[in-house]
Amino acid sequence: MDIFPALASVVADPVLLGWVLLAAIVGMIVGAIPGLTASAAIAMLLPLTFYMEPLPALAFLYVIGKSGRYGGSVAAILFNTPGTAASAATQIDGYPLARQGKASKAMKVATISSVIGDFTGEILLIVGVAWIAAVALKLGPPELFAIYFAAFIVIGSVIGKSVTRGLASAALGVLVAMIGLDPISSTERFTYGSFDLTNGIGLVPLMIGIFVLGEVFAQIEEREKSTEMAQGREDPARNVLTWAEYKPCLSHVARSSFIGAFIGMLPGLGSAIAAFVAYGEGKRRAKDPTTWGKGALEGVAAPEAANNAVSGPSMAPLLTLGIPGSTIGAILIGVFLIHGIQIGPTLFLTSRDLVFALFACGLIGIVMYGLIGYYGAAFVGRFITRIPTRVLYPVIFLTSFVAAYTSRGNLFDVYVMVAAGFAGWAMRKLDFNPAAFVISFVLASGAEETFRQALLLSDSGLMIFVTRPLALLFLLIGVAALIFRVRSLGKRARGQALGDA
Amino acid sequence: MTSESSPAPRVVGLALILIGIGATITSLGISLDQYGRWGARLFPLAGSLALIVLGMLELRRSEGPRLDRKHWPAVAGLLFLSMAYVWAISVVGYLIATALAAPLALWIFGVRSVIGLSAAAVLCPGVYHLVFFELLGVFPPLGRWFDLLDVIAR
Repeated sequence: MDIFPALASVVADPVLLGWVLLAAIVGMIVGAIPGLTASAAIAMLLPLTFYMEPLPALAFLYVIGKSGRYGGSVAAILFNTPGTAASAATQIDGYPLARQGKASKAMKVATISSVIGDFTGEILLIVGVAWIAAVALKLGPPELFAIYFAAFIVIGSVIGKSVTRGLASAALGVLVAMIGLDPISSTERFTYGSFDLTNGIGLVPLMIGIFVLGEVFAQIEEREKSTEMAQGREDPARNVLTWAEYKPCLSHVARSSFIGAFIGMLPGLGSAIAAFVAYGEGKRRAKDPTTWGKGALEGVAAPEAANNAVSGPSMAPLLTLGIPGSTIGAILIGVFLIHGIQIGPTLFLTSRDLVFALFACGLIGIVMYGLIGYYGAAFVGRFITRIPTRVLYPVIFLTSFVAAYTSRGNLFDVYVMVAAGFAGWAMRKLDFNPAAFVISFVLASGAEETFRQALLLSDSGLMIFVTRPLALLFLLIGVAALIFRVRSLGKRARGQALGDA
Repeated sequence: MTSESSPAPRVVGLALILIGIGATITSLGISLDQYGRWGARLFPLAGSLALIVLGMLELRRSEGPRLDRKHWPAVAGLLFLSMAYVWAISVVGYLIATALAAPLALWIFGVRSVIGLSAAAVLCPGVYHLVFFELLGVFPPLGRWFDLLDVIAR
């Protein structure tokens, strides 16, 4: 029950509470701006946190991630443009409600469901993470490599439209991570005689490039479009949310919270998949599925609960195995590393207080964004429509340069950021998967280390991965995920072909 | 291996194969360790070969939707500005480079107000310098040819 002392210590620290409150506001605004994501905001703000104490730095970015996931629903409901990929599912019923003049009611349902989902995920994380860490301590290099392998396959193949391009994104991420000196033998790899490349490619400029500058490149194609709020006539009487109206949503919220929490634990799947799975499952089990898609409150509640329930459990593989479950997790690795905190199963032995204080900040952050969202979502929506994108994105453009430079005080990193930004834009245009690229980049060094350690332990070479049952299980999970994904896409393609015929 | 076709499979496939071949050749040039083992080569080689296989799979796919190229000149302009901006920082320092880049970035995004562009040229370098190089204490990138900070410091 380490969480209670942690909560007490966080509540007693007004400066820390201030950072959490700021994160709740920043995350919500960024999530609500169409095109900008919490990952982009976190990547851009990451260098600033290098100058903070570890807990405020981690809490600030962690709560931006949570609040940003929720903020996406503001754009989905009010602007008919999902602020994040995950809130596209919320848009299906949220926007019709806004057009009926029930935008505030839809936002209240989204807020309450997000808070319940996020709390569920966070509590499952708090209860389960130390247990997972204890199990993880018993895993050896072969098992850990098998987990990395499964993560590569799942991340590359499950997200995005194209399996081949998703896997290619993961392979490219691995290759880029290999640039520099081999950590074991100090042999140069892919440096082509460049001194700058011997230091390797920095995580921070790569992230800022892919998620921030890449988005600026994408937004230049959207600069003629404007953001407008739904024009339904707002009647305060129709926007009061009663218990009778929310009660039917509760079962959907409970189910979706567990769906989101489960999907969140699996590396790389993320909020978007959780939200759509929860929406599909909710519609399948709904008393009247015909109302879904036309403005059903349950259709807002289910994806929002799942979307936010992902947040806490997605930290589990990061904190226990050092494997980021999401892009936000991958960015948080940078904060842990810069503050000299070794993530992995030993984290709970070396920095237990810090981890539980971070969870406490997460719980307080949920309450804060819940209150801000419940009473101020419409205000945030109106505020965003007043931000001119033709000024916003140039400012983000300029900030990305100085942020990339700040990470190591090196202009080479800024060139890396520009290259990554253009690559990020091209990847999105060509259906590659930037998230898989970045997560694989982060995973590659750990995977290589465990692979080579496993081979050193082995008397029979690669057979060590087959003779150790847990390692074999994870390898099979990776292969099964790939086969399942290819088969499901094949079925869908055949279905579409028959439909077209 | 997809539900719906993605754009330019031939170009993407060919690019992946070429990157894969290049990376494979480079991987095979990585030195062996002191015991003559392939340790440092294995992962780069695995990634390179995976790219070749995935590139070949891409080549087998049918042509997807055409890419919308309407905004590519603006994207190319922004890319050129990005590269020029970093180069300018390295030769004339952060303040002057940002004073030039800020109005250009705004102009690319459609801002045409002369007052706005002029204000950006003054405010952006000032604000960023204050926040990052004064408040956070980051050492600013100094220009090789000239730097306004040298003049201000005198």
